Amino acid sequence: MLHFLEYWAARLALLSVDLLPPAAASRWAGWLGCLWWTADWPRRRVAISNVLRAGVAEDEAEARAIGRAAARHMGMVLVESMKSALILDDPERVRARIPEDVQAMLVDPTQGLIVVSGHFGNWELAGQWLSRYKPVAGISRPMNNPRVERLAQSRRPRRGFRMIPKYDPDPGRFLKLLGDGEVLALLVDQHSHRGADVPFFGHPAKTHTTAAMLHLVARAPLTFAVCRRTAPMTFELTLTPLIEQPRTGDRSADVEAILRTLNAHLEEAIRRDPDQYLWGHRRWRS
Amino acid sequence: MDASGASEILERLRDVLRDSAVEERDWDAVAPETTIESLGFDSLTILDVLYDVEEEFGVALEPKQVVKTRTVGEIVGLLEQYGA
Repeated sequence: MLHFLEYWAARLALLSVDLLPPAAASRWAGWLGCLWWTADWPRRRVAISNVLRAGVAEDEAEARAIGRAAARHMGMVLVESMKSALILDDPERVRARIPEDVQAMLVDPTQGLIVVSGHFGNWELAGQWLSRYKPVAGISRPMNNPRVERLAQSRRPRRGFRMIPKYDPDPGRFLKLLGDGEVLALLVDQHSHRGADVPFFGHPAKTHTTAAMLHLVARAPLTFAVCRRTAPMTFELTLTPLIEQPRTGDRSADVEAILRTLNAHLEEAIRRDPDQYLWGHRRWRS
Repeated sequence: MDASGASEILERLRDVLRDSAVEERDWDAVAPETTIESLGFDSLTILDVLYDVEEEFGVALEPKQVVKTRTVGEIVGLLEQYGA
């Protein structure tokens, strides 16, 4: 029943977004985000606790303000992702800063590339923007509500960007994509019960190891992406120079070294714009 | 390489699989015709195995060749090609 209600709520929200001009739709979605912040008190409590634990707010009042602004931001992210063609087709809307070594990987059709990010800014827009160079496969966990998941998939602009499931029964799936010269896009800031314990804002957090292992095993180049909103429907996409971790023979140590670097890049982005991060996820569970 | 060489590689490979695997199973029963998929590895867990295989045998496998393998015997054959 809950899934049914969620589905129709999502459909109504999409209908209203379709009927409004983009700027108004973005404001409307931001308002819906604030409404969600007010209504979902368990998630709100998690978000405030996370902001305080990360040390990006001095006190609870500031943490509450950041959490509310972040909820508004997430509402806007949904609209921007659905109307991404308007942003991607306008060169003034995305200012990209791509180092030369990463650019060389993007323009080489034979070269696979691992692009890592977190639930910061508009991460999905980053993937869609990069698909102008080569196909991009975003690894994701399907939503808990299959109806909403199908709806979201049907509304995602296609271009060269597609989502693929995190757990694939074909063991060679990710290796094959990289071997075919595609971009594999991953997010590393969700709790992973079988992940590695790596500090995130100084506290141990179970972190997905896939990006690190792919870099070590496929020897595919690795970069971290940040796509921050600088104005309504306008973004700055920054990729780091290639991250390289030589293999030492100690798998756990190699993985941890890479994940520490990735987390450090994400922390840097969050400290700069804490109101563009998804704080409602239970990141620290120990 | 002769049959005893392949047999030795298979034995060492079994040990790596046993140490890398998340699931419990009868690793001594793993035969050349056993498929990788049937061993319970998916697109994520296989990466741990490949790292450990490369370290054990001192080789750097080409991912494009690895994805073509479907059975344990094919991995043994690949390791033989790399001079393991």
